Amino acid sequence: MHFIIQRDKFVQSVQHVNKAVSSRTTIPILTGIKLEVTSDGVTLTGSDSDISIESFIPAADEEKEYVEVKKEGSIVLQARFFADIVKKLPGDDIEVMVQDQFATTLRSGSVVFNLNGLDPEEYPQLPKLDESRTFRLPQNLLKDMIRQTVFAVSNQETRPVLTGVNMEIENGILTCTATDSHRLAMRKAITESTTENLTISNVVIPGKSLNELSKILDDTDDLVDIVVTGSQILFQFKHLLFFSRLLDGKYPVTKNMIPEQAKTQIELPTKELLHSLERALLLSKEAKNNVINLKTLEGDVLEVTSISSEVGKVTEKIHCHQVEGEELRISFNGKNIMDALKVIDSEMVHIMFTGAMSPFILRPTDHDQMLHLFSPVRTY
Amino acid sequence: MGHNWKGRVIFHVDMNSFYASVERVYDSSLKGKPLAIAGDPKERRGIVVTSSYEARAYGVKTTMPVWEARKKCPDLIVRPPDFDKYRKVSSDMFQLLQEYTDLVEPVSIDEGYMDMTLPFKQGSTVAEANHIMRRLERELGLPASIGIAPNKFLAKMASDMKKPLGITILRKRDAAQKLWPLPIEEMHGIGQKTADKLKKWNIHSIGDLARFSPVSLQQRFGVKGRKWNERANGIDERLVDPDAANEIKSVGNSTTLEHDEDNPEALMMTLEKLSEKVEMRMKRKQVTSWTIQLTIRYNDRKTITRSKTNANPLFTAKEMKEQAKVLLHEHWSGKPVRLLGVTALHVVPVDQAYKQLDLFSYQKDEKEAELSQTVSHLTDKYGEHIISKGLLTKK
Repeated sequence: MHFIIQRDKFVQSVQHVNKAVSSRTTIPILTGIKLEVTSDGVTLTGSDSDISIESFIPAADEEKEYVEVKKEGSIVLQARFFADIVKKLPGDDIEVMVQDQFATTLRSGSVVFNLNGLDPEEYPQLPKLDESRTFRLPQNLLKDMIRQTVFAVSNQETRPVLTGVNMEIENGILTCTATDSHRLAMRKAITESTTENLTISNVVIPGKSLNELSKILDDTDDLVDIVVTGSQILFQFKHLLFFSRLLDGKYPVTKNMIPEQAKTQIELPTKELLHSLERALLLSKEAKNNVINLKTLEGDVLEVTSISSEVGKVTEKIHCHQVEGEELRISFNGKNIMDALKVIDSEMVHIMFTGAMSPFILRPTDHDQMLHLFSPVRTY
Repeated sequence: MGHNWKGRVIFHVDMNSFYASVERVYDSSLKGKPLAIAGDPKERRGIVVTSSYEARAYGVKTTMPVWEARKKCPDLIVRPPDFDKYRKVSSDMFQLLQEYTDLVEPVSIDEGYMDMTLPFKQGSTVAEANHIMRRLERELGLPASIGIAPNKFLAKMASDMKKPLGITILRKRDAAQKLWPLPIEEMHGIGQKTADKLKKWNIHSIGDLARFSPVSLQQRFGVKGRKWNERANGIDERLVDPDAANEIKSVGNSTTLEHDEDNPEALMMTLEKLSEKVEMRMKRKQVTSWTIQLTIRYNDRKTITRSKTNANPLFTAKEMKEQAKVLLHEHWSGKPVRLLGVTALHVVPVDQAYKQLDLFSYQKDEKEAELSQTVSHLTDKYGEHIISKGLLTKK
């Protein structure tokens, strides 16, 4: 194998696939990044067996030549060193050459690195997915959907299926749901499908995979093709493939958890509630419980209090745009509400309470694509 | 004093060589002899915990190794400590003090503060202190020193001034004369380490501290720096709080098994009984806890304690037993067990407890809360015994 490649293009690809590589893998070959060169270009692969990323650099496109292929072939190089080296090489081009016994030379400007490579034959093949269930989303929308749900996944392995985000498609609407059983975040979007009447359910993507994917997503309208199978999901970009394992197990039915009858409703600016909670949490942080008490007062006023028996007490009154329905006293984990408020891009939020001991809903006022559900905290 | 006294009257009552005094009550042959209470008198490495004044005259000091104490005082009688005995006498002692005022704050097993403001307004005199001191000696065999002052700090400093069997009055206006010449180490609340730090600032006596800028002290040592300065000036606003010592931090129960046990089922049964006792005591104290600790003592006396913290507060014996069971399962070596204990750690009053409800099962709590509200309405209206949980009463 022997090729000369444009450095910037190469560095970007290496960094992308390196996101999938874990130093804590049980399969030694997966600590490496695989390079494969054909006359079409260079393909890089990184994987930790849960996530696999494949990036392709074409030999040339309409505008430019990126790779000069001198000899086809493949090699696996230790990701730890390889990724750092290419980033720091000085020249505009990098020459990669494999001699016998996988000995590899990287040359750029006047710098030469000799690395011991690994046998590419040992590197596992990426799955070939059945593409019969495919839909598309713009990159920036997908990025938003991840940001607005993934924070709510559980970080406890007691119920593994809750460590992922559940995807469902019905009647052309994609719904992403995440819950750790104390709060739930849901986001909807209209999606285009290449399959007619595509319906998918119980597709649970590990939160960790989505966090990595989000780093690769750009803020563009370019479409991503998403292929779903029984055990894998594939995000297909122009020159990049992102595979993730799906979580086993049945995701709980969440639709019927969302209450419809409101007892108390309030409407107020997102930022005001967020800042008020931030202040109140200054004290409850000490108690490590983040408990905030909320009380409706006369004249569309909301009272936020937090007490720490050791530090003290904070009280704040917020003027809402509207307070409707029964009087209310409720306690909840303020940190959870803050997490949700931070991903709401709208100026105003609407909160619907159904009683002091039952869940309440937080929604932006200007669209119905997003919903957050919280269970309160019981006091004695 | 008497009627003209405007401020508060605080006593600090300090037992003189308490453990040694108690030993003499139980064994009169020890009277008038040099006596030391030490870790384990058979072990040469034992350390003197306290000693009688006769022993102190020979130079025996607290924390001195027994061999060294014996060298200073060859006739020294050494006894091992018996804390059960000390606790019993201590509780008798505080009961006696409570005959004079309800406001008695135990500080440790052998000292406490009394707020005597009210008795004094009603006509008590310093003779009262004499009365207390004489009764402690006559009825309980305990020599004591009493400091009398307008606040806790001065009272504490005063009780140190005449030992044993002394009564010292320290007024605020006496501070400059009686307190300020003392070296900084002798100030209550200042340890050796703090004293060393203060000396670097050229503060060698309590007077130096009193005259030092409170602002600088606060900047360097925080709020307590300012408090030191106030106290050195004879100012201390702390109240005598009878409940200070009663703040419960953990509730536990342990039992020595009838024979060394290695049958897991028998151990589980014991955990169940212990958990029930802990539940009862927690209910009585109106507290709850998130953390359960399991104590296992094996037949070779090796003892381990392991704890587990739950996401939500534990109220019932069943919940506590479950935690204890998991701990036993994880940490029991399988060797025969001599003693088991279940303790709820870091307990908090029930009204400060909270539970994060679950989106999937909140209805259970909703019902339970309604039920407990109904029960408390009923008991408020008709009294404690109108309703109780099922299964407890047999037909």
